[in-house]
Amino acid sequence: MDQLKEDLKHQIIEQLNLEDVTAADISDDMLLFDANGLALDSIDALEMIVLLEKYHGIQVVNPEEGKSAFLSVNSLAEYIRQKSN
Amino acid sequence: MIKITGYCHITDLLCAVNGKILLQPSPDSEHSWFRQIYNFADIQYPKFHKMDALAQAGVLGVELIRLFAARPMDFQDEGVDLVFANRYASAATDRRFQASYADHMSPSPAIFVYTLPNIITGEIAILKKWYGENTFVVMPEFDPGFFTSYIQRHIARGCEAVIGGWVQIDEENTEVFIFLAEPIPAEPIPAEPIQADDGAVRLGVRELLEIYQQHLS
Amino acid sequence: MMYIGAETMISPMGASTEENWKSMLANRSAIGWVDQVGLHHEKLPLARFDALTTDRRFHSLVFDCLQAVSQAIDASLLWHASTQVIVSATKGAVDDHLDRPFDGVMHPLQKAFDLKRLPLIVSNACISGVQAINIADELVAAGEAEHVIVIAADLASQFVINGFQSLYAISDKPCAPFDIARKGITLGEAAAGVVVSRNRGIFKEEPLSLLAGYSSNDANHISGPSRTGEGLVRAVRRTMARHQKQAADLDLLSVHGTATQYNDEMEAIAINRLGLQNLPLLSLKGYFGHTLGAAGVLETVATMQMLRHGVQLKSLGFEKLGTSQPLNVLANNKVKEFNCFLKTASGFGGGNAALMVEKI
Repeated sequence: MDQLKEDLKHQIIEQLNLEDVTAADISDDMLLFDANGLALDSIDALEMIVLLEKYHGIQVVNPEEGKSAFLSVNSLAEYIRQKSN
Repeated sequence: MIKITGYCHITDLLCAVNGKILLQPSPDSEHSWFRQIYNFADIQYPKFHKMDALAQAGVLGVELIRLFAARPMDFQDEGVDLVFANRYASAATDRRFQASYADHMSPSPAIFVYTLPNIITGEIAILKKWYGENTFVVMPEFDPGFFTSYIQRHIARGCEAVIGGWVQIDEENTEVFIFLAEPIPAEPIPAEPIQADDGAVRLGVRELLEIYQQHLS
Repeated sequence: MMYIGAETMISPMGASTEENWKSMLANRSAIGWVDQVGLHHEKLPLARFDALTTDRRFHSLVFDCLQAVSQAIDASLLWHASTQVIVSATKGAVDDHLDRPFDGVMHPLQKAFDLKRLPLIVSNACISGVQAINIADELVAAGEAEHVIVIAADLASQFVINGFQSLYAISDKPCAPFDIARKGITLGEAAAGVVVSRNRGIFKEEPLSLLAGYSSNDANHISGPSRTGEGLVRAVRRTMARHQKQAADLDLLSVHGTATQYNDEMEAIAINRLGLQNLPLLSLKGYFGHTLGAAGVLETVATMQMLRHGVQLKSLGFEKLGTSQPLNVLANNKVKEFNCFLKTASGFGGGNAALMVEKI
């Protein structure tokens, strides 16, 4: 199990106040902003930026840059690993 | 004649429509009180969970009146004006937002967008696809005279309905009173009782205060 | 006829309407740089009162503005039973009194000015000001009040700075409404007031004619402007129809123009749908910043000065059009007598509101 990805799922649920969603419901490759995924919206995307700063110390200056990183838990984990190297 | 054709109360102790208690909070529930009402009424609206308590109260009030006062609310999209009031605006949500930046200097955008009291009217407009007028005012206590004259003015200029009410919610207290006012053709019997069997109430300052006070003081 | 007059502005550019008009005419801006105010302690452009010499808190701003307005009318009207005061604001005293942001402008304001009626607070995000004037018209027309004094005020509090920064909506340079290089809003603080009445005699200076309008919700998103401009189109259409006005009857559009990508684009779409794209247009945010709940009244008052003085001011901060639809944004001051303007506002919660003012 990838601990970072597990942590991310819990952080997403916590930061975005997702009701009725458990970490087990979020697969690593689920499209978070897709209607068939978590159906997140533009404000959620900004909350993801807060999440990155709060839990991972990563500052996103340009929200556009975050867009490709926020596609899935996989892409988020990759983005965080890239930034922390 | 204008009537209050449906109204809803939510307090810390109960949830009622047209004065009749529908539900009381279950202390054993894992869910918030508003969520218990949402489940009870079998509302399916995932956006609800992202809203602050004020906006949730607005959505619950409108849906409860539709379901339990049996008002179809199939108005024209510009036919409904919304008017809500309370004493402390969005103070409870403001405090949550302040906490989000006081702790980590990471202010929460999802909380910030609810730090305006009029968001309750926006959420109702989105829920129902209504393009009418929305107003939010701040006043020290529920003023039936203000609401009565607003309803009369707006129905006189062609509104099919006015939905509004008092929504003061903070950690200690939940005061929610939401009404639907509609023009109803006058009944032939002049000595009609104030409250008819269907629960509708003739609009007047005294009558509005009376139904507000059924579960709030 | 419904009259609007006794207009007052208090902004970082001046404590009176005259001082503000002089600065605007010279295309000066209230926007300056404030150190360390951003989330990451960066400096930000802000239109803020000088904290050292004129630290204005919310209550004092409302009190001063009501005082100033009362001097432009028969002052005894303040304590008439048929006079209603409306206060328009979004966040009130949020930085000082988070739990009771408006208590200071209810009973204390009533007591200080011996008002017979409790002031009514309209808090409807960024359309508060335009809507408050429309409500004033409603109350007078229905005979519920003889005179309504509208006072609008808001502060560029740390609360709202943090909030708009969390939305990435604050520009790192002074705002540039409708410009191709616009990067978001610049917050401002100010107070403004007007009196609405059917009695022309109460005004010390000749009033103007208020053609009050309507508001309409986008029913789309609480924090994102509609992509089609639907609510704004409806608000303007209903407002113009109410007074039988056509595009040809309007001389100037004083629009919301916050300088965010989405807002300005939404307005351009709505204005084109309304067929008003050839009319001279300006946003006053380049002069005052975005003053939130004060904006609608402040910008109505500022545009009333243009009507009175026969000058259409340039839309400060604008150089090259940056919307997908054509607009006739004023790139220079234009000396021109004119008769009628349209004022619009749009805001969080999906609200849009409009009104018109014309010469008597």
